[in-house]
Amino acid sequence: MARRALFYVGLALLLLAVLFPLYWVVVTSFKTTRDAFAIPPVWLFSPTLDNYRTVFANRGFLSAFANSFIVSILSSALAVTVGSAAAYGLAQQPAELRRAREKFILSLRIAPALLFVIPMYYLATRIGALNKHWLLIAAYAFVNVPFAISLLITFFDDIPKELRDAARVDGAREFSIFWHVYLPAARGGIIATLILCVLFTWNEFFVALVLTGRDTQTLPVSITSFLTFQGIQWGALTAAATLIMLPMIVLGVLVQGQVVRGMTLGSVKG
Amino acid sequence: MRPVAAASDPTRHFFQPIIVCLTVASVALTLFVIWISLHDLSLMRAGREKFVGLDNYIRFLGDPRAMAALWRTVLFTVLATAIEIALGLAVVLFLDRDFAMKRLVRTLLLVPIIMTPVVVGLTWRFLFDPATGMANYLLSLVGIAQVDWLGSPRIALFSVLVADIWQWTPFVILLVMAALESAPTDPLNAARVDGAREWQVTWYVLLPMLRRALAIVALIRAIDSIKAFDLFYIMTRGGPALSTETLNYYGYIVAFTNFDISYALAIAIILTVFTNVALLTMYSVLFPKTGDR
Repeated sequence: MARRALFYVGLALLLLAVLFPLYWVVVTSFKTTRDAFAIPPVWLFSPTLDNYRTVFANRGFLSAFANSFIVSILSSALAVTVGSAAAYGLAQQPAELRRAREKFILSLRIAPALLFVIPMYYLATRIGALNKHWLLIAAYAFVNVPFAISLLITFFDDIPKELRDAARVDGAREFSIFWHVYLPAARGGIIATLILCVLFTWNEFFVALVLTGRDTQTLPVSITSFLTFQGIQWGALTAAATLIMLPMIVLGVLVQGQVVRGMTLGSVKG
Repeated sequence: MRPVAAASDPTRHFFQPIIVCLTVASVALTLFVIWISLHDLSLMRAGREKFVGLDNYIRFLGDPRAMAALWRTVLFTVLATAIEIALGLAVVLFLDRDFAMKRLVRTLLLVPIIMTPVVVGLTWRFLFDPATGMANYLLSLVGIAQVDWLGSPRIALFSVLVADIWQWTPFVILLVMAALESAPTDPLNAARVDGAREWQVTWYVLLPMLRRALAIVALIRAIDSIKAFDLFYIMTRGGPALSTETLNYYGYIVAFTNFDISYALAIAIILTVFTNVALLTMYSVLFPKTGDR
């Protein structure tokens, strides 16, 4: 009995360590400045939405929200479209050929982002593309395609080969097998891949920091603007932080099984 | 298995164009990057680029700031990987039993991993605030003097390390947990029947079974730690007094503060080579000449 109690104490401490930082940020976003900086900390307080009003009054933040939305959705959709076709083709190849291609795709994700971001920045300054959305969408699609392929191959592998053989006996062409058999059968996996790509793009900072201009700033870049002027406005900052991460946490928890699977492959990303 | 696997297999058309595109892009990029790194090209002095051979690489060797950054990258990577693996494994062994909320715990462990890294940096900066942060308040409760978490050159790197450990130990936990659950339980029970003590079962039977999973997680964490950027940018910007500047961060400064493109790319190439060497070394240590994969 004592061992059992000890286990639950340990479990509670673990969850506290994992969740407290998140809790503290979200709770601070509902505090007045006075409560936020009180020492000892205020545990009970009357919540206020002032910080959220400040954030929504900030036009830069709103346009960053729109940018993040457009860029993550479009680049992920592009990556998953291209990735599905490639993954379908690769999944049909003999093991040897396939493994060599997969190794190459994986190797693309080991290089530091610095390596391709500097040339992209340099070329973009020359052709005046730094402040364009398509530059960012292309950059993220380039990063997401290898990830999408390696994840989608595992989903296509789960589809029984008999389905394909049956369709071929019926005289179906490759494209219609891909379109009418594989895509519907792997729908769950494709949606999970899309969500993981969106999650990654939404959270990504380094590429966005370098390749965005005034009009294309994404949320992670835009939030740093709260850091500079007149010290740090923790109230507005925590509200902005909550708005950025909560939708992604909800989304991630919804596809949790796939997240772990995708992270294994995905964290070898550029 | 398959009836016709001819050379004209139409499924090739589905991936070949993309593989060709990726190959062309990566080869072109590599050549372009090497070509620039052999020149002296700066955005501050446009149109005055000239071929300088290996000067940028020689400059790196004689650059004390770069050497310090390289050493710091090694320190951070080794500490982050080792602590996250050890801590993660400990938690997995601790949680290895049936209890009511196991699924819920697993879902909650996912939260740090999918939190926006920039927000993680801000969160820890908030907690580490010297005057009003939670970290110092907790220390004051147990009567320990205030710590200048991010302002002291001797401590700042370890404060960033804490944030990295907080975000990524759950990743180790989730993957190792998954490996543990798919592992067979027969050998464990056999060892127990043979009268082995619980720690012996863990050490001699369970850990060898988890070796492969732990090795893969260690490789992933090492690669990511070498490239860590977000936390450093948000929490310390490489300071105080350059005490948290890693090689990746230094490359960023050289490229986008000094606009010294050629030298920055030489650093990026060195970083890539360094990552690969570290990776191959780790790989051969973790998977000593076994034939699988």
